[in-house]
Amino acid sequence: MTVYLRQVAAIVRKDLLLEVRTGERLAAMGALTVLVAVLFHFAIDQGLVRMQLLAAGLIWMTILFGGMLGMGRTFEMEREQGAIQGLLTSPVPLDGIYLAKVVSNFVLVTLIEVVALAAYWLFFGFNYGNDPLLLAGVLGVATLGFVAVTTLFSAISAQTNMGQTLLPILIFPLLVPVVIFGVTATGRIFASRPVQEVEGSLYLLAAFTVVALTAGTILFRYVVEE
Amino acid sequence: MSLARIRWMATVLGVLGVAGVLVLHWLVFFWVGTERTMGIVQRIFYVHVPSAWVTFLAFGITALCGAAYLWLRDERLDWAAQSAAEGGLIFGAIMLTSGPLWAAYAWGTPWTWEPRLTLTLLMWFVFVGYFLVRASAEDRQAGKRMAAVIGVLGALLIPLVHVSVLWFPSLHPQPVVLNVEEGPTLDGDMLITLMTGLLAFTLIFFSVFCLRYGLEHLRYQRALALREQPRAT
Repeated sequence: MTVYLRQVAAIVRKDLLLEVRTGERLAAMGALTVLVAVLFHFAIDQGLVRMQLLAAGLIWMTILFGGMLGMGRTFEMEREQGAIQGLLTSPVPLDGIYLAKVVSNFVLVTLIEVVALAAYWLFFGFNYGNDPLLLAGVLGVATLGFVAVTTLFSAISAQTNMGQTLLPILIFPLLVPVVIFGVTATGRIFASRPVQEVEGSLYLLAAFTVVALTAGTILFRYVVEE
Repeated sequence: MSLARIRWMATVLGVLGVAGVLVLHWLVFFWVGTERTMGIVQRIFYVHVPSAWVTFLAFGITALCGAAYLWLRDERLDWAAQSAAEGGLIFGAIMLTSGPLWAAYAWGTPWTWEPRLTLTLLMWFVFVGYFLVRASAEDRQAGKRMAAVIGVLGALLIPLVHVSVLWFPSLHPQPVVLNVEEGPTLDGDMLITLMTGLLAFTLIFFSVFCLRYGLEHLRYQRALALREQPRAT
């Protein structure tokens, strides 16, 4: 078990180190996140609509698009120099590779969420409610589910000649629960509603995340096997 | 199963299915009573419900055969999954066009975010993804496996999607909507018409399924023949 964890940690470390050194995915994701917020500013007539009411939806859409942009490259990056061959022939079990990719993507998307929250606060002065811990919990659980699905499908889209064009068509139908409960829960947290009103959504997000992560761990081997 | 047998089955099922659809249309246009509140449009129901049923059936077959393919790696399972998915795509399209036509009159709006509508729309998109992956995979074998993964994952996550939409926007379930949609128990003649529709559409689906399966079988045989044939210079 410890060996397994160490192997997973090694891949996570490699991915994050690569990201720190090149910063290519993070830069693209961060730029997109801020730009989407800028576009929303012009896309919505703030004389007609109060932005705060749309806060949760806007932030989730931004996270989804920004996250997808970066995660779509999870396996394309590995394939470019044939690094994937080395990874697949290494003694790390295939599910370990999947979990490592999920962890490193989770870190990236979490950073993007911080950028998104900061950008929206800066541009629109959004009020994020008075329970930052609960907000972090909801975002964490929902992000894990989002990352679990998207990482698996990025392994699929990397092996097609449509590449990242295919990714949204594959993941959006399956990510509907994340959007529904993510938006419901964060919207209520932003409105400082009592915890009881958030709990239900949080449990369902957790259920989705567990199913997605388990299915991804089991199914990943069939996607990458040679 | 031999190719001749598959062809024979496809023909028999097809003839029965087409006959069933003809009977269905006669029943729908000349026999069954007109529903009181919705009037004549309600007759779309007899095409809509059977196509929805077949779509769900196809989705189930795709997921099951996909899972079995990943496990056993028998090409025939992949042919079956693919054939079912193609049927599902067609019948899903029928369902998604007939539904709004009916709803535009019955509900006064072509589309609502009613749970089952949303579910079937998303399911249809999973089928679309299934074929896009198959078609664009750089390696054919990998394409089959990845498509199977999509079928299985779709079957696992779609129930969750269904639950989510059911509970949206409040966290209170709305079973009333589903019951109202189901309507009061059907009249005898409506039930017979509906059953005829279900039977006819299922037969047609399996006929198309057999034809498609036979085609894959033929392709496979041809590929084998080409490989065995000594290379001409």
